[in-house]
Amino acid sequence: MLILIAFANSLRGIRNAATTSSMAILTIAIVLVLVGAASLLVENMAGVLEEFGAELRLTAYLDDTVSPEDQRHLAQTVAAAPGVDRVEFISKKEALLRFERIAGGDELLAGLDENPLPASLEIHLRPEARTAEGIAILDASLDGLPGIDELAHGQEWIEGYARAVALARTAAGTITIVLGLAALLIVANTIRLALYARRDELEILALVGASRTFVRVPFMLEGAIQGLLGGLIALLVVFGAFELVLPQVRTGLELVVGRADLRFFSMAESIRLVLSGAGLGLLGSITALVGGRTA
Amino acid sequence: MYHVSKSYMAGQYALHDVSLDVSRGEFLFLTGASGAGKTTLLELIFAAKVPSEGQILVLGRNVARLGAGAIPALRRRVGVVFQDFKLLQERTVEENVRLALDVVGTPRREARSRVFAMLKSVGLQHRRFHHPLSLSGGEQQRVALARALVNEPEILLADEPTGNLDPELTIEIMDLIVKASTRGTTVIVATHDHSLIERYGKRVLRLDAGRIAEDVPSAVPSTGAVS
Repeated sequence: MLILIAFANSLRGIRNAATTSSMAILTIAIVLVLVGAASLLVENMAGVLEEFGAELRLTAYLDDTVSPEDQRHLAQTVAAAPGVDRVEFISKKEALLRFERIAGGDELLAGLDENPLPASLEIHLRPEARTAEGIAILDASLDGLPGIDELAHGQEWIEGYARAVALARTAAGTITIVLGLAALLIVANTIRLALYARRDELEILALVGASRTFVRVPFMLEGAIQGLLGGLIALLVVFGAFELVLPQVRTGLELVVGRADLRFFSMAESIRLVLSGAGLGLLGSITALVGGRTA
Repeated sequence: MYHVSKSYMAGQYALHDVSLDVSRGEFLFLTGASGAGKTTLLELIFAAKVPSEGQILVLGRNVARLGAGAIPALRRRVGVVFQDFKLLQERTVEENVRLALDVVGTPRREARSRVFAMLKSVGLQHRRFHHPLSLSGGEQQRVALARALVNEPEILLADEPTGNLDPELTIEIMDLIVKASTRGTTVIVATHDHSLIERYGKRVLRLDAGRIAEDVPSAVPSTGAVS
């Protein structure tokens, strides 16, 4: 019974203080639009970087003297090494074809009697091994294997890739925390104003013997409902912006990163964004109630 | 109330060494000039203020030592009426009265019927869906009185309940308060209206500068008085 009364009181509170409530809802919506847009951007950046990572591979150039059978054995040995996802064998002939594809013809090698390009093993790494440490471990385990002439791994590129992913995630986390704290303070102040505007009601409730819980729960529910509405508005705005902006930037993205299949939030992520609004509103109310005097 | 004092600044007392015994079911007029300490005395009884010195026993509880968590339970047994009515303007008459039942979790259906019966007893059942601002001063005070009494409190405190009303409405409200007293509710009414005091012939406690200046016993026997 009391929870029904509390719910009715919180809806009444929102209706009666429409301007203050709208301010709180808009504040939460604005903050969540910023947080949502930032995390959507970072997630897509991280997605692009992860795709780059999937293309990350080491190349083990083989000695020309290794027999085809030994090459197969060598490929099996390398595939079993730590951090290796799969190994692809590139024969001398295939290496030549690739070179010609890249060079745009066979003029460069036309004067040579035989194919100078070595056979190689292209080593694809597991996601967790795409770090400088992972490469070092693999490097050590492949070092000295008979038949491998040279191991090319582009360590600097790998380190740069790992740094970029970490930076993107830290940026998203920082933006979320800073904006979240700002929103919390604004929401707490808005709720505090609502408390002040309704001080007569609080006084009367105290007079008729309302407990602290009876007084506080409607305000907490009010904050949560406002947050929920703010979260819903934010989700719609971010979705609208995503749908409007994506066609404009698709060509540019394809040119820069080679792909433009950016994704919106999944259902679970969308629900999380809306619920984080409710959480923000609830936390703001609690902050205001703890800071203020009620009953 | 035993040797109770209340001071807001060192050496300046709103109440000074007041000892008072009010029996269950008794009707008491509290009188005195403005600033004599009438409101402070009432506020001490319903734990809106804490005494600086002394002890106050209300319904078997020592209000001077009451924790914040225990105050709501005390206030549910004490109805309070003020000169300015203290009604919520955005709520209907019924909702204002129901507030006292909502805080104790009375089921909605039961609350509605009790509110209706209470409003009927103060003659306002036909106005239950109106808002306070559309009512006259006397009607608003009757709503406040209904809210104070709907929970069947053991004590009713009224601070200048007729201060804003004309003489005819004053009698109307006072008759309702006296009626509550005849049902066994202890009533304390703070007023500076001597015509009222003379009309009802109840016990009168006169305060002067925070001290009891006079305690005149009732001219008529109190109903249901229990020491």
